[in-house]
Amino acid sequence: MTDQGETADTITILLVEDDAPTCWRLQDALVKAGYDVRTAGTLGEARNAQNDAAPRVLLTDLRLPDGHGIELIRETRRRFPDTEIMVISALGDEESVISAITVGATGYLLKDAFPTDIATTVRDLVAGHSPISASIARFIVRRTQVTAEPPPGPALNTARLTPREIDILWGIAKGFSYAEIASHLGLSRQTVPGHIKNIYRKLEVHTRSEAVFEAVQQGLIKL
Amino acid sequence: MSEIAAKPAVSAWTRRRLRLSRLVPYVLLQVLIVIACILVLRLVPPDDPDDYAVSEFSLHEDGATRSVTLPHFTASRYSLADPPLYTGAFTWRTSDARTAWSVYLPRFSNAVEVAVNGVVVLDSRRDDVANRPDRNTPQIAVIPSSLLRDGANQITVRLFVWGPLKGFLDTVYVGPDDSLRSAFETRALLFVTVPVVLSAWQSLLAVILAIMWLMRRREPVYGVLALGMLVGAVQAFVPPPVPPAPYPRLAAILLASAPIESALVVVFAVLFFGWRWPRFGLLIFAPGLTILLVGLFASQPLPRIVFLFLGVPTVGVCLMLLAIIVTRAVIKRQDAASFVFGCAVTIVLTCWFHDMLSVFDIIQNDRTFVTRLSYSAMLVAIGAGLTWRFARALNQVDSFAGQLVTRVREAEERLKASFAREEERARAAALANERTRLMRDLHDGLGGQLISIVALSERGNTGATITEAARAALKDLRLVIDSMDDIGGDLMLALGSWRERAAAQLRPHDIALDWRVTSPQGLPLHPELRPWHVIQIIRILDEAVTNAVKHASARHIKATIETLDGGPDGPYGVISIEDNGKGFALADNGEALTAGQAARGLRNMKSRAARCGAALDIGSGSTGTSVRLQLPQRFPDNDAASR
Repeated sequence: MTDQGETADTITILLVEDDAPTCWRLQDALVKAGYDVRTAGTLGEARNAQNDAAPRVLLTDLRLPDGHGIELIRETRRRFPDTEIMVISALGDEESVISAITVGATGYLLKDAFPTDIATTVRDLVAGHSPISASIARFIVRRTQVTAEPPPGPALNTARLTPREIDILWGIAKGFSYAEIASHLGLSRQTVPGHIKNIYRKLEVHTRSEAVFEAVQQGLIKL
Repeated sequence: MSEIAAKPAVSAWTRRRLRLSRLVPYVLLQVLIVIACILVLRLVPPDDPDDYAVSEFSLHEDGATRSVTLPHFTASRYSLADPPLYTGAFTWRTSDARTAWSVYLPRFSNAVEVAVNGVVVLDSRRDDVANRPDRNTPQIAVIPSSLLRDGANQITVRLFVWGPLKGFLDTVYVGPDDSLRSAFETRALLFVTVPVVLSAWQSLLAVILAIMWLMRRREPVYGVLALGMLVGAVQAFVPPPVPPAPYPRLAAILLASAPIESALVVVFAVLFFGWRWPRFGLLIFAPGLTILLVGLFASQPLPRIVFLFLGVPTVGVCLMLLAIIVTRAVIKRQDAASFVFGCAVTIVLTCWFHDMLSVFDIIQNDRTFVTRLSYSAMLVAIGAGLTWRFARALNQVDSFAGQLVTRVREAEERLKASFAREEERARAAALANERTRLMRDLHDGLGGQLISIVALSERGNTGATITEAARAALKDLRLVIDSMDDIGGDLMLALGSWRERAAAQLRPHDIALDWRVTSPQGLPLHPELRPWHVIQIIRILDEAVTNAVKHASARHIKATIETLDGGPDGPYGVISIEDNGKGFALADNGEALTAGQAARGLRNMKSRAARCGAALDIGSGSTGTSVRLQLPQRFPDNDAASR
């Protein structure tokens, strides 16, 4: 929070949000933190904005007047692999957040978050830390448990997660801090964010052919 | 049948016609069987070698002598002394000496003593089988060649008769043994060997039926028949005493065997064909028992007389009863067993009539008794009937098992359907409950907060108060949504989200949330944990944190989560929230003295804890407040306290 001025100089953020007051609120918080913020109210505007140059960070709402934020995330991920993407969500509900994660988003930002929290979250994201909430972690670890019936909600491939990653997710879901998780699991505290980043990457389904591969791996498709 | 029963007006006539249509072919068939029997009895008698017949005899009887032609009947007599003496002659040439000569008597009753040229060559009284008047035992004896003289030879036959039957002597044959032997063998086969085989058969059946009855006591039908067969078998194998009998009592018992046996067969038929037992049904045993009693207490020949005039008719009556029973069964059941049984009864009955006519000299023949022989027909029929019944019972068991499988499957399907219905109903009920609870939860939190926002906005109140109310509403909405998630009984998963929300809530106030979990697992698992438990617990914690921030001006809040050993019922969890605020004074009864929202908040916390079966301890002093929530070892199933 103290050094945000130095790092935010060159950081561009594309904020896609159709509700004007919410958009202003987030924009204010980010601009105050020193970021270069462009806004878009629709999917089309967002695409146009990305034609000029790739933003460093994309913050997008999912329900947009002319389409779904998921499409934007997928496109951006494909065109600009270095762009950090985060979903703006009113409730942080797993349904929308998880589907965004599978196309390349990293976590979510609550629309009513306090301005300082908004700035901190984006700063951490740019610094390479992938934030993960307890409820998202909970959703993922519940999916790793074997159930007879396919669970409701978006499809999520947890097959590639290692036992250690699952343990970390359990810790986050139960409200433990990174330090506590690290000490419980005998890790160094610094390695936990890296694990979380890996988790996000593994949950991402990059291409159609990879999706097929995943399905075969999980035994969903028999060749 | 059920259709006929449904129309009583038509039924009597229809049934009669139906019965007639079944009776007529059956009776016609029985008539054919009777005719066939008569033809067989008439046309197929054992063929005797007529070339060697000696028919002309002079009979010396009761002091008088007269010439007779065999076959010849003599009067019945009851004394063995001075038997009728038949004297005849045959011619033998020395040229015949190359072959042995025999004397062959195809039929006589009751016993003979044959002498050639004054030397006895044959005494049938020594042969037990020959002494049975109901068997047509032939006799043959080789005449020692030294007795034979060239030319005329004398043959004398003493005929022993024991009443009440008349004495009978069939034609006597004297000739080369090889010419007579084959005729003798044929008769011996028919009238000696076959009855023995049949009796063996009968005793086997008796054993099988007795076993059946022993294994199935509730079916006396087998027991009755086994007894009947046993009586018959004993009668056939125990040698009859020759007068003067060494055991007259035994003779009497054996005499009683035939009527008792036939009565037992009638009882068997009654039971086998499922008739109701007639009230005086046991009277059928009366003649047999009478003969038995007479035999036991009177001396011969009275028992034999009683037998002839009581026992033999009883056998006939029994046969006729059998015929009636079986005929009715054939009409009613139309099955193979009763049909075969019926034909067999007809054969036996025909033979019985034949023998009766023969005994009373109504028809002239060579007095061949065939009732005993035809009894075999009935035995075959009974054996066939029982086998058929056994096979049918097996089939019924099979089809019953098949039906059972079908029924079970049907019941299973019904059960499955009703189970699915029940499940659906339970699901609907659970959904309705959940909806009610959700409504209540939303009403408790979100609803009130939104209304307060509306009220604040209407008063033109801007700024912090509305923001606060709106944030509280959002927080509550997230809580309700979050608590709906399946956490698999692990309260820690709910607390993890709560920690994030509480930390976010505290951060603008610059209050640190110290989070301590004493064990890596956190809290014990509660499979019975339901969303509404979670909401109550989280609301208690929220209230504690809100109080610390709003009313106690705390700078530091510590949340401790620990698991304590609760003895045999398992461990229990404790969640404590402590702050370093200024606290609030409590009265002795635990109620907060501070008026207004804080007091109401405390009351709310207590009631929420009570609904979850948890114990809430609140301690407050000038250095801070501590809220200790002790979770139950088992969460209550229903929200009883709230109703």
